Amino acid sequence: MLEIKNLHATVAGKPILKGLNLSIGQGEVHAIMGPNGAGKSTLGNVIAGREGYEVTAGEVLFRGRDILELEPEERACEGIFLAFQYPVEIPGVNNTYFLRAALNAQRKYRGEPELDSMQFLKLVREKLKILHINDDLMHRAVNEGFSGGEKKRNEIFQMAVLEPSLAILDETDSGLDIDALRLVAEGVNRQRSEDRSMIVVTHYQRLLEHIVPDYVHVLAEGRIVASGGADLALKLEEQGYAWLESGGISALDVEIRA
Amino acid sequence: MNTTAPAKLAERWADTASAAAAPESPDWLRALHSEALAAFSDSGLPHRKVEAWKYTPLKRLEAAAPDLPHDMHGTGGVLPPEALVPGAALTLDIVDGVAPAALPAAPEGVSLLTFNEALERFEQRLRGLAGKIGLQGPAQAFAAVNTAYLHHGLVMHVAAGVDAGTVLTRWMSGADSSERFSPFRLFVLLDEGARLELVEQHMSGDGTAGARSLVLQSQLGQSSELLHVRVQAEPEEALLLTTTSVEQAAESRYLYRGFDLGGGLVRHELNVELAGPGASADLAGACVLDGSRHGDTRISVDHVAPDCRSKQLFRSVLAGRSRGVFNGRALICEGADGSSVKQSNANLLLSPLAEMDTKPELEIYADEVEASHGATVGQLDEAAIFYLRSRGLSEAEARRLLTAAFCHVVTALLENGPLAETVGRMVDDAMPAAD
Repeated sequence: MLEIKNLHATVAGKPILKGLNLSIGQGEVHAIMGPNGAGKSTLGNVIAGREGYEVTAGEVLFRGRDILELEPEERACEGIFLAFQYPVEIPGVNNTYFLRAALNAQRKYRGEPELDSMQFLKLVREKLKILHINDDLMHRAVNEGFSGGEKKRNEIFQMAVLEPSLAILDETDSGLDIDALRLVAEGVNRQRSEDRSMIVVTHYQRLLEHIVPDYVHVLAEGRIVASGGADLALKLEEQGYAWLESGGISALDVEIRA
Repeated sequence: MNTTAPAKLAERWADTASAAAAPESPDWLRALHSEALAAFSDSGLPHRKVEAWKYTPLKRLEAAAPDLPHDMHGTGGVLPPEALVPGAALTLDIVDGVAPAALPAAPEGVSLLTFNEALERFEQRLRGLAGKIGLQGPAQAFAAVNTAYLHHGLVMHVAAGVDAGTVLTRWMSGADSSERFSPFRLFVLLDEGARLELVEQHMSGDGTAGARSLVLQSQLGQSSELLHVRVQAEPEEALLLTTTSVEQAAESRYLYRGFDLGGGLVRHELNVELAGPGASADLAGACVLDGSRHGDTRISVDHVAPDCRSKQLFRSVLAGRSRGVFNGRALICEGADGSSVKQSNANLLLSPLAEMDTKPELEIYADEVEASHGATVGQLDEAAIFYLRSRGLSEAEARRLLTAAFCHVVTALLENGPLAETVGRMVDDAMPAAD
């Protein structure tokens, strides 16, 4: 599904990703963990095509196609979805209107017929029901005045409507209390399927108690320095990230895959 | 196209206005008419050195050199535009500053009268209002011209306690209006507890190039409510100079929602006097400019009585080489304690060649006043653009959506559903592309 090879990227001239390799198969859920400043969010933004993130070397193949030359909207239409760490508030743009425009833009790109408002409403109702989200969210402006939890749930809701084949969840747990975290995680778990791959970027292990990944990778200094199964996250929780500075990878008592 | 020196144009206007029929009576009106003519003859048209007009380019007017009306006939060839709001209780069409010979029937409790008819019932009130429009000096030149044609105007009255519903007024230029400058005066009187939604629709046919002036004077009785919606989508050659003056008694409410979406040179002055305690004025407007168009909004709110509230929320979007001006003034007079003033003007520049001049002014001479004001000029939020694109919208679509959203903050204040929908669509359609 996704092949990242020797990815180097800079932000404002500063190297952040320094030769990152990552391979994600269809339907797999990969967690990327790591200390602050390791490049976790940069990875998501580079894949989604955000301006200001310059790729200086390497390639990102999505279903065999190098996507680095594509515009952000083309990547979205190809099936890539980034759930933002900080979803943007957009006063004056209605959530329903926005989401329908986005879905129809993607359908048009794929040569599928656009949905009229009735068809769209039906789809939205189904998804809201599955995610246990109150429909007043739909009548409000995009993220405007939303609580932290509402914003993150709105991201997951958008993901449910757009049905991407690769979803990148960027620190989806940040700023959430335990109850909100559980709700968001449930929403994500309902969308796990053999057609959909996910990258779950997080600093803490607690999200991974709810969204249990197939693989866990440790990102440090712009590279994947360790990879393992779900138990790697637990070890990190016990031992913290300090080993990265003290003894390097060998200090961590895990099996190294990468 | 003619080119006439401004002095020549002013001279011609003074001659035409003097020759056009003067009011027959009463004495005060004849005196006011003479005073207006004399003031205009003295001052001539405003020029760049007149502070209140320094940003408003009148070259377009000078180049077109239209004359004032010699008689009270329109230039004809008009197809009234679509009504902005369906089911209005009363629809009034004014073409080239000329009221229809037979006025439309007004619903119960509402009177629509010629100025002469109205003098019989409301002479003192009309005299008081008419006398409030300043005439002296070049800054008031267009007001003086308008006053010279005052007696051809109309008066709308809503009786005490009556909810008049929606009145639609449609202002337009005739097909052959390019050589004419048409002034008009409308008085709107609301008695105690009356309520009116007044829609002011300026939409002339494509290709017309009329020049018009409208002075709308309103007197709001105690606890009355005027909801005033102005939608201006004139063709690109049009010149429109409008003034709205509202005088508010205690506990009255005035709501203004303005949408300037067209026109070549448009200037709107909105003056509100909060004369009775507890009155409130809630003013909001959106202006969309592109090409080489000019839009000028000048707000002045006087807090005369205590415990009044006023709010100004104005937004502009500017593309191309357009130019916008916002001048928002709030004056809290001595003794107007407990006043609350909020003022905000935000502007979006879509082009490096567009220009916005914004000047919020706050003058406070009272105690215990709650006041805030702010003005911004900026570009679209790049984070928001990326957010929309990351969901599949093209960059152009994302920009268009965000630009429209900037104006929809004002559209969202419209409570009349069908009107809000129509105006919302018009705002969307008026969105210029970024350049």
